[in-house]
Amino acid sequence: MSNKLILKGLGASAGEVEGQAKVFLPGDDAGSFPEGAIMVTTLTDPTMVMAMMKAAAIVSDMGGITSHPAILSREMGIPCVVNSKIGTSTIKDGQKIKVDGAKGEVYEMD
Amino acid sequence: MEQKERYMRWINEFAKASFSLYSGNTISAFQPLDFFHFYGIWYDLWLERVIQAMEKIDAENKSFKELQPLLPTPSNLRALLQKAIPPYFGTDKSKKVLYARYTNFIARMLMEACPEDPFGLSRTPLHNQSEVEKIIRDIPWQPASAQEARLLGKLITAAGSLVHGLYNDVVTDFGWDAYGPYNNQAKDDEKYTLLVRDFPDLLPTELWGADFTPSVKSVQIYQLYQNVEWVIGCVGCHTIVKSGDPITGLKYYVVLADGKILGPEELRVLIMELATKAEKIYLEIRKKNFEELKEMVMLQECYQLKKLFEAAGLDWKPTARMKEIIKDKPLQTGILPHDVMMTNLEQYKKVFHLNEFEDEVLKV
Repeated sequence: MSNKLILKGLGASAGEVEGQAKVFLPGDDAGSFPEGAIMVTTLTDPTMVMAMMKAAAIVSDMGGITSHPAILSREMGIPCVVNSKIGTSTIKDGQKIKVDGAKGEVYEMD
Repeated sequence: MEQKERYMRWINEFAKASFSLYSGNTISAFQPLDFFHFYGIWYDLWLERVIQAMEKIDAENKSFKELQPLLPTPSNLRALLQKAIPPYFGTDKSKKVLYARYTNFIARMLMEACPEDPFGLSRTPLHNQSEVEKIIRDIPWQPASAQEARLLGKLITAAGSLVHGLYNDVVTDFGWDAYGPYNNQAKDDEKYTLLVRDFPDLLPTELWGADFTPSVKSVQIYQLYQNVEWVIGCVGCHTIVKSGDPITGLKYYVVLADGKILGPEELRVLIMELATKAEKIYLEIRKKNFEELKEMVMLQECYQLKKLFEAAGLDWKPTARMKEIIKDKPLQTGILPHDVMMTNLEQYKKVFHLNEFEDEVLKV
């Protein structure tokens, strides 16, 4: 299986996770977020807390190492990459990806 | 002979600590209203009221210990200080004495509250060693597994999202403090690191009404870790793991909600309640129009010093003049750049006008 680097951002919470991506935006219904999916978003906010608690990892377009997704990912012990800039326009729902929260990298999995 | 300059020198230490709040970040990430470009419209008027309240209770001649019951938590004080500097550059700068007295007062309170690291560069030790030992001795510790560690992470996520109140991020208006790390603490012949999380005012009914406020007012979380190295930074609410695994490293914990110890099932219920409330309130906030948002930002800012105002016999709420001055006013522009990422300390000090503030305000 080969891994292709598709995004590079800031590593905000260490750890590696593979899973299915779910593009989830502020205002989306948390009930539609699958348990254990990787959240790909512009920037998290408090309307997304329930979905964040179901996520295996978070990738955001914006934010720094002290932004909302970064802080809360660290508290929950899940990997997080912030400031990927183009995550939501690059990654599709259901796409299998790997998140490396230490390096700030996201890979597409075959 | 050169005259020695006499003024409170805290801005450099404050800059080093607060830089971590903005490092690798832009102010565009702070929603729903760019408060940095809003405060300058009305902040002079509020500071006049704050100074009046401080004078009435002689706050500038009292210690942190004496004033602590009237003040918000240290993380909140750091956030107040953070927000107080940019507005000065949105005013006509005629009220520099107000800014100097207010920011020096907050800085002094922090220096007395956490003398080892007042502005939260890497630690936020509010408790002295005998207080830490008392906590370790008196808390009825419960053994923790990875499952409880993840539950506590979710609890902090839910409670943290709620205490932001109006904001999506950055502002800990109602207190979100992480105290510690208190390293090498003895319990049963083993060494641990103690972290204390404090959410003293989860969501005030004075601001939000009963529909949005949760069934508990305060939550405290006590955690004992082994083989995890922590840093607490920013304004003092954010924990960062330097080494080790915070999930397997948690050995004991206790959660208190309004003073009552919660078991795992009660914790799950509380997490769901807090997360649901956080979602509900932020959805409501997103419905507010620009004028309503401005009023709410101002009200929330004033609420933070409610107890101090009440002790002085003053109304903590914005005055009619404060409300009038923000009405139909657009946000200011050009005080801080929106999309410039802060990458180093010197850049941050320049962009946030910290050296200018020291020269123009604190040295006066």
